Amino acid sequence: MARVITITSGKGGVGKTTTTANLGTALAMQGSRVVVIDADIGLRNLDVVMGLENRIVYDLVDVVEGRARLRQALIKDKRLPELCLLPAAQTRDKDAVSREQMIDLTGQLRGEFDFVLIDSPAGIEGGFRNAIAGADEVIIVTTPEVSAVRDADRIVGLVEAAEKGPPSLVVNRIKPRLVNRGEMLSVEDVLELLAITLIGIVPDDEVIVTSTNRGEAAVYDQQSQAGRAFFDVARRLRGEDVPFPLLQEHQGVFERFFGMFGRRRS
Amino acid sequence: MGFFQNLFGGRRDRSASVAKQRLMMVLVDDRYKLTPEALEQMKLEMAEVLARYLPAVDAEQIEVTILRGEANDYLKADIPLKRGRSDEG
Repeated sequence: MARVITITSGKGGVGKTTTTANLGTALAMQGSRVVVIDADIGLRNLDVVMGLENRIVYDLVDVVEGRARLRQALIKDKRLPELCLLPAAQTRDKDAVSREQMIDLTGQLRGEFDFVLIDSPAGIEGGFRNAIAGADEVIIVTTPEVSAVRDADRIVGLVEAAEKGPPSLVVNRIKPRLVNRGEMLSVEDVLELLAITLIGIVPDDEVIVTSTNRGEAAVYDQQSQAGRAFFDVARRLRGEDVPFPLLQEHQGVFERFFGMFGRRRS
Repeated sequence: MGFFQNLFGGRRDRSASVAKQRLMMVLVDDRYKLTPEALEQMKLEMAEVLARYLPAVDAEQIEVTILRGEANDYLKADIPLKRGRSDEG
């Protein structure tokens, strides 16, 4: 039986879709059978991030409305035979799918996959509620910025109210040098504020730009920091005990010297 | 604040600690609808009640914070007492 996991954030643009694409790809690389669902109806994006935009025939709404069978709408990944995408509809609005239909859909997928990952739309409205309706677990993605953390906290409250169990947290786009200078919230700060379980620390990395340009997940590039970080999140999801690597970037002598005195401790 | 910190630009708080402080306030407000004004009022009233039993309580010194825990949040109050003899006034 699959685990159904929704990836959400509240605030837009913090990396939900990137996280979904990379976790889905990494889980499949590690031998799991995975389907990723784009639940952002009207703003389809997971397909382009995964490089599958040219293969779409049917979408989620086609399945829900009976124009296509679920199996017909699933798009196989280019490289990984155990990875599938169920794309969002681009021409419909968020109300095209109901909560019950999402629960039914995830129920149908449970038997055939190990992981069902749902890429949630931003916000706390109907689209988000649909996206978590069928989920067993929720992963919240945030960046170390006040607006993103604040929205993440709202989501924590809503996920708890929906009785989805304690959500886990991916802190995305951390800049270790800024953190060391005391000019960016650290992972520890974010954890203290949100008080949920950490499952990933992903450094800000240009590889996300280039890999998204190509429609290939960053986890294929095991030399890249972000690729390795997402790969580790997938391993933790599969139950492996993977330590969080210290995010100490190489520092110059001056920076270290300044860091010693300039850092404020609360 | 030490000499070195002044020298190396520590006069202003680092922006990360400013962000954290601001977020602590705003998350409490979001979650509990407790505005900074209401928090101040609560502190004053707490001091009023406590002063009936402990005259050494100083309302200005009370620090109230809400902490996030795994299962519950906690209201934590730090209430320092003025040291000295109780008959001093």
